[in-house]
Amino acid sequence: MSAILFDRIDEPGLATIDVYTRRGGYSALKKALAMPREAIIEELKVSGLRGRGGAGFSMGTKASFIPGAEIDKYLVCNADESEPGTFKDRELMQKKPHQLIEGMIISAYAVGANRSFIYIRGEYVLQAEMLERAIAEAKQAGHLGENIHGSGFSLDLVLQRGAGAYICGEETGLLDSLEGKRGNPRLKPPFPANEGLYKGPTLINNVETLATVPPIIEMGGAEYAKLGVENSAGTKLVSVSGNVQRPGNYEIELGISSREIIFGLAGGPEAGRSVKLWFPGGSSSPVLTADDLDLPYDFDSLAKAGSMLGSGAIIVVDDSVRVVDVALKLASFYRHESCGKCTPCREGTNWTVNMLERVQSGEATPMDLDIIASVQEQIIGNCLCVLGDAMAMPVGSLVAKFRPEFEAHIEAARERNGLGASQPAVEQPVLTI
Amino acid sequence: MPRPTEKTITFTIDGREVEAIEGAMLVDAARGGDIEIPVFCYEPKLGAPVGACRMCLVEIEGIPKLQTACSTPVRDGMVVNTGTERVKGAQQSVVEFLLVNHPLDCPVCDKGGECPLQDISFGWGRGNSRFIEPKRHFVKPLALSPLIAIDRERCILCYRGVRFSQEIAEDHQLVLLERGASTFVATFDGHPYVAPFSGNIVELCPVGALTSRAYRFRARPWDIEGSGSICSLCPAQCNVTFTVRDERVLRVLSRDHDGVDDGWLCDKGRFAYQATHSDERLTTPLVRDGEQLRPATWERALAVAAGISRHAGSAAALIGGETSNEEALLLSRLMRDGLDSYDIDSRSGGVLPLELLRSLANPALQATVPDLEFANTVLLLDADPVDDAPILDLRIRKGARRREMQVLVASGRPTALDARAAEAVRHAPGSGANIACALDAALSGDTQRSATLARDGGADPEAVVRLANLLREAGEDIVIVWGERLTDGPSGAAAAQALLRIADQLGLASRDGAGLLELSRGTNGRGLREVGALPNSAPGFGEPQREGRGWNEIATAAAAGQVTALWLLGSDPARDASNGEPWAKALASAGLVIAHASTLSPELGAHANVVFPAEAGAEREGTVTSPDGRIQRLRPAIGHGGQVMPTAAVIAAIADAVGFEPGFSTGSKATEAVAEAVGFYAGLTSDEIGGRGIRWQERDAASALPAGTAGETAAPPAAAASPNGSLRLGTYRSIWASPEVEISPALKFLSRSATVEISPEDAERIGIGNGQRVELGSNGSQLEAVAQLRSDVPEGSIFIESGLTSVGLSATEGELVEVTAK
Amino acid sequence: MSEVTRFTHGSRIPGWDQSTDPSKPAAAIPDPATTTVPEELRAAIEAEIAKYPERRSALIPALHHAQEHHGWCSPEAIEQVACVMRLTPGEVAAVVTFYDMFESKPVGKNTIYVCTNISCSLNGGDRILAAMRDAAGDDPDFNIRGFECLGACDMAPMASINGEYVGPLTDEDCNQVIAQLTAGETPLPAKQLSLRPCADAAGRTGGDGQ
Ligand SMILES: Cc1cc2nc3c(=O)[nH]c(=O)nc-3n(C[C@H](O)[C@H](O)[C@H](O)COP(=O)(O)O)c2cc1C
Ligand code: SF4
Ligand code: FES
Repeated sequence: MSAILFDRIDEPGLATIDVYTRRGGYSALKKALAMPREAIIEELKVSGLRGRGGAGFSMGTKASFIPGAEIDKYLVCNADESEPGTFKDRELMQKKPHQLIEGMIISAYAVGANRSFIYIRGEYVLQAEMLERAIAEAKQAGHLGENIHGSGFSLDLVLQRGAGAYICGEETGLLDSLEGKRGNPRLKPPFPANEGLYKGPTLINNVETLATVPPIIEMGGAEYAKLGVENSAGTKLVSVSGNVQRPGNYEIELGISSREIIFGLAGGPEAGRSVKLWFPGGSSSPVLTADDLDLPYDFDSLAKAGSMLGSGAIIVVDDSVRVVDVALKLASFYRHESCGKCTPCREGTNWTVNMLERVQSGEATPMDLDIIASVQEQIIGNCLCVLGDAMAMPVGSLVAKFRPEFEAHIEAARERNGLGASQPAVEQPVLTI
Repeated sequence: MPRPTEKTITFTIDGREVEAIEGAMLVDAARGGDIEIPVFCYEPKLGAPVGACRMCLVEIEGIPKLQTACSTPVRDGMVVNTGTERVKGAQQSVVEFLLVNHPLDCPVCDKGGECPLQDISFGWGRGNSRFIEPKRHFVKPLALSPLIAIDRERCILCYRGVRFSQEIAEDHQLVLLERGASTFVATFDGHPYVAPFSGNIVELCPVGALTSRAYRFRARPWDIEGSGSICSLCPAQCNVTFTVRDERVLRVLSRDHDGVDDGWLCDKGRFAYQATHSDERLTTPLVRDGEQLRPATWERALAVAAGISRHAGSAAALIGGETSNEEALLLSRLMRDGLDSYDIDSRSGGVLPLELLRSLANPALQATVPDLEFANTVLLLDADPVDDAPILDLRIRKGARRREMQVLVASGRPTALDARAAEAVRHAPGSGANIACALDAALSGDTQRSATLARDGGADPEAVVRLANLLREAGEDIVIVWGERLTDGPSGAAAAQALLRIADQLGLASRDGAGLLELSRGTNGRGLREVGALPNSAPGFGEPQREGRGWNEIATAAAAGQVTALWLLGSDPARDASNGEPWAKALASAGLVIAHASTLSPELGAHANVVFPAEAGAEREGTVTSPDGRIQRLRPAIGHGGQVMPTAAVIAAIADAVGFEPGFSTGSKATEAVAEAVGFYAGLTSDEIGGRGIRWQERDAASALPAGTAGETAAPPAAAASPNGSLRLGTYRSIWASPEVEISPALKFLSRSATVEISPEDAERIGIGNGQRVELGSNGSQLEAVAQLRSDVPEGSIFIESGLTSVGLSATEGELVEVTAK
Repeated sequence: MSEVTRFTHGSRIPGWDQSTDPSKPAAAIPDPATTTVPEELRAAIEAEIAKYPERRSALIPALHHAQEHHGWCSPEAIEQVACVMRLTPGEVAAVVTFYDMFESKPVGKNTIYVCTNISCSLNGGDRILAAMRDAAGDDPDFNIRGFECLGACDMAPMASINGEYVGPLTDEDCNQVIAQLTAGETPLPAKQLSLRPCADAAGRTGGDGQ
């Protein structure tokens, strides 16, 4: 397996600039500074690199949206990593902070941004410290600051710690937070590429995306594009967790079988247990079942199966777990994290939790499952940002795929509570005038 | 700055081709096709749309997701559908979600019957409810402030009130706490939301979450009637609708006028209607009976007032700022033509030469209120709109926030707009004239003279030069907002000449969007001058038959027995003047004092011979003229309370008793008389003024204004007193200093006690702390006050509020005062 | 439907169920002349402000400093931050209450976030939270909170103890954590992400040991 991001990941001292440089670090930067800006963006486009933060948008294309004009432009690294099940950026920042910094300098140079920021989730204390140290080293070495290596290009890099809010991973919520406000997402358009931080054009990318830039410059976009499969070029860090024996981050070439990741790399569920369901791309992705384990792990295959690659976090749930509990856990998380700005998400997540609590405690009937399903449909596509969808899609998929188990659970719980069997679902009477 | 140009395009909505202005938001454009798209959070007055409530989702061909019509600009050829199943489904969903936590307490809700949530649920909702979980509960209602109640259960988190506080008033007091479904609207740590414009959030709230405590449970929508008029409490003259039930005003709402108020009201304008029905308001005539003023019959009161005929030749009239054009014309006619008395004044700061008054009124030099939003730069010269004409403060903020308009300030006291200012120059209190002259000199390149003048005025000469440079580079449209106080006192003429020269140097007369805007002290300051309520001007700035004494001379003459009768038409000089002492003497010496008032100050109580109860705003009729020359109509919303009679009718009755026939008294006849008397108002009728008013400068008759000259160059202003251990006294009249505020139950909490604002440096030197009691002394008079430390008060100056009944310091603006700890 | 409790909604923000106090002044931007800010806090906030093109951007870093200084985002702390940042205390409070890591009530000096999100709870996270609470009892020095995914599912079930990631945890570990913190010792050094190989069965190290 080709290691691009996790190459030598466990080498002691790789987080320091000395070791990183000795292993070839910052040579991509030198190469890039000698290239015309458009050429770098072209290499990124050719590489086929798609954003690793969740949406999977082409990095090169996004960079090309940044206007060329000589105005204040910004680069922001999204290191909020709060999607449940995702912990790849943490390991990258902790062990290879310089690769991220190098990728940021190259990207900022490519789009003509002179100020850059890393917005890291507040809980990552250790990683923030390591990055601060690395930034200081990079400044010292002249990779950051005024007139970098005589190129005439200057870049300032500031690390900001968040303070505990998932929604600040959403790019516009992040921008508001970085501006010192509540992290409410903004209406789009305008998109950050036109009007982002401080109303200036802003390129926002995930840690992993930016850390992939130096290897791409080093090896050339075309070479990188040879890795992976069509529409899903390159390698990807996958965070595997939940009911598996070897949870952790694994770098894979896109397109390998999901079974290979879950069983081959992560060891699968413990002996005697089987996979009941799995989230292929973080807790926001619609769930898949054991039937889907042979899907190739790439953007298109997962999309075709009705889910998504998202942040590349695979959460495995084995057959010992009640699906009701999974649904309630998820819904509660999104209710807690909804920023509250728009109606369908604020009220829809709250209502869903209330209903699932009744389902869990047995004070529900199958009609409630219909309402739950319909509420998810009412949320999807109607919110200001996609946090609402991020609950509605997986919860909707759980209710759709495991309805018999929900129903059985309701009946059993009613029985336990002495409530008797539920009424069969009835159509609402319709009054025709 | 040029106003944006509008281009018309065509788009299709629900199968119909409709014309719209390019870039208009779909919700607004849809109305052109008679299609209503429901909204909650959208309110264009609040700035850019936030797209939060999701009520306005529509389908646009070519875009896969539904889009919010409140934030999508129309483009040529766009095809929009608002009636598809998908759109209906989304609308029903949003209504259902909003009702998840909205209590169904409509029967006891003040908003019931005029509630957008009710209307939209009815029009776009599902009609049934699937929600059986408990709703979220809050203790309710709670006081958000003495004026506003908050019912958090009803809140649908549309962000409107909070956006108002952040983006319009910029007081940043009303915020959202917590997030997600737990979000609620609140203030910091139990502090009340008290700000000049807080009441607007009640009008903005689309549900019954924010209600007026003064209006709660007073009426149902079907009990009330709305009656349009003008707020007569300050020169801004906002357009209002009085909510009337059974001849009582129960509420005041904004009557959105882009050329005046932009749809907002200040809390004084919104809540002071309560003074109308307050027990403390005078509603019967009073006549002096020995030491006491006692209620009297109209016959008796009028008979006492008619005694003024014995003072013919030695009577004087002070015309208060709220007086209408008609009342002022009537009284000055009676004084001049019936009583042979020419001592008439409506400006308390001193007499300005007629030439200068004419020059300052030059239509080409007048800025309009909307110019405050579209200019490249607004300079405040010795003015603070939030106190002088509150609503204009919001207009300037809007320009600064939305169009990056530059704000510049030169003032004695720190202004509310300082934080927005590119440069804020501080000068000694009362030395505005020096700064105007210094600025003029700096603009003409005479830096040396500029520096001397600035230093004399207690300002930093370099800051004045910076101000001049910023003005020079400010772009073409510059508006100079100046406070009447700038032209007070002996250096008033010099200040006015400097203003005219600055305007000349900056070419303000040649640009439509540029000019001068004076914030007068009284509501109708401008109109009163134009109808000739001045000692040196006939109506329409014509040559007077004979010149009379001005404000300050009247006081001296009365104390000396040369003026023997004083007619105080809505003016209470002992209270209103920064130095009330000479007036106390004048009142005591005059043989006859006639007053029109709604409350009695101690001085009036002690010296008036007859007091007529003044009309309340909602009872009045007539016209007033706004700072930018808009003539507007006061229209009675209710009948007169108690025994109150129209002021004009009282004056006419007295005229009749003294045997003078003015030819008009009230009604549209009176307005016609004003139009006849003032050349540049010629031909104006009540109908033409209508409900929206009209700026006289925009009518043909404007050319009848006699041309002015700069007149003889006035002597340069004197230097400000050097503090030398004492401190220079500055005064200001806050928005809350008015009798209406003092007697309105809801606003009473805002009437103030004497405080003195002092710099931390001076406080430390004198040894006083914040909140400590101090004594101010000057010329043997004393005043006790509470020290308020303010780091933006310049060292060497202190500020006290004027217009408070309790202030009685015998010192004027700029004079030295000793401050000691108590 | 079982019993419906009123006002269960509540809020972690004190005062949510009370009217405002009319004797308090309107909460405008605090005047430096009447607001004392501890010198080191002011310096720290000003250093943050200097990093950004727009001063308001320093608000969240400023609040981290203030919370460290005062132990929680008390009204006093909020006023001090507002004074230096030139914001109203309301604007600052709005931000404080949006973010989970800012405390709006006084808390114990040891803060433990136990992850109870999906991957940890599949491995016993909820049980660990209960065990941690049991172990701490009502000791006011501990601020134990169930927290959303902390980005360390590879060491599930885990907790962040005064900012240090520790895991995978057992019930017994919880007693030890509380005992060690009470004694002023480093909690579970062998399970700290920054000090030791983490839960990765492949045996990869966490931090680089520096
Ligand atoms: C609710 C929500 C949470 C998100 N959280 C993260 C996150 O923690 N980290 C991240 O990189 N992207 C996150 N995203 C995606 C970002 O909005 C954005 O698409 C991404 O940072 C772009 O970078 P990329 O193109 O490199 O992937 C989130 C999106 C949503 C809607
Ligand atoms: S979808 Fe949720 S998180 Fe996103 S803006 Fe709406 S309320 Fe906020
Ligand atoms: S009116 Fe469009 S989202 Fe609220």
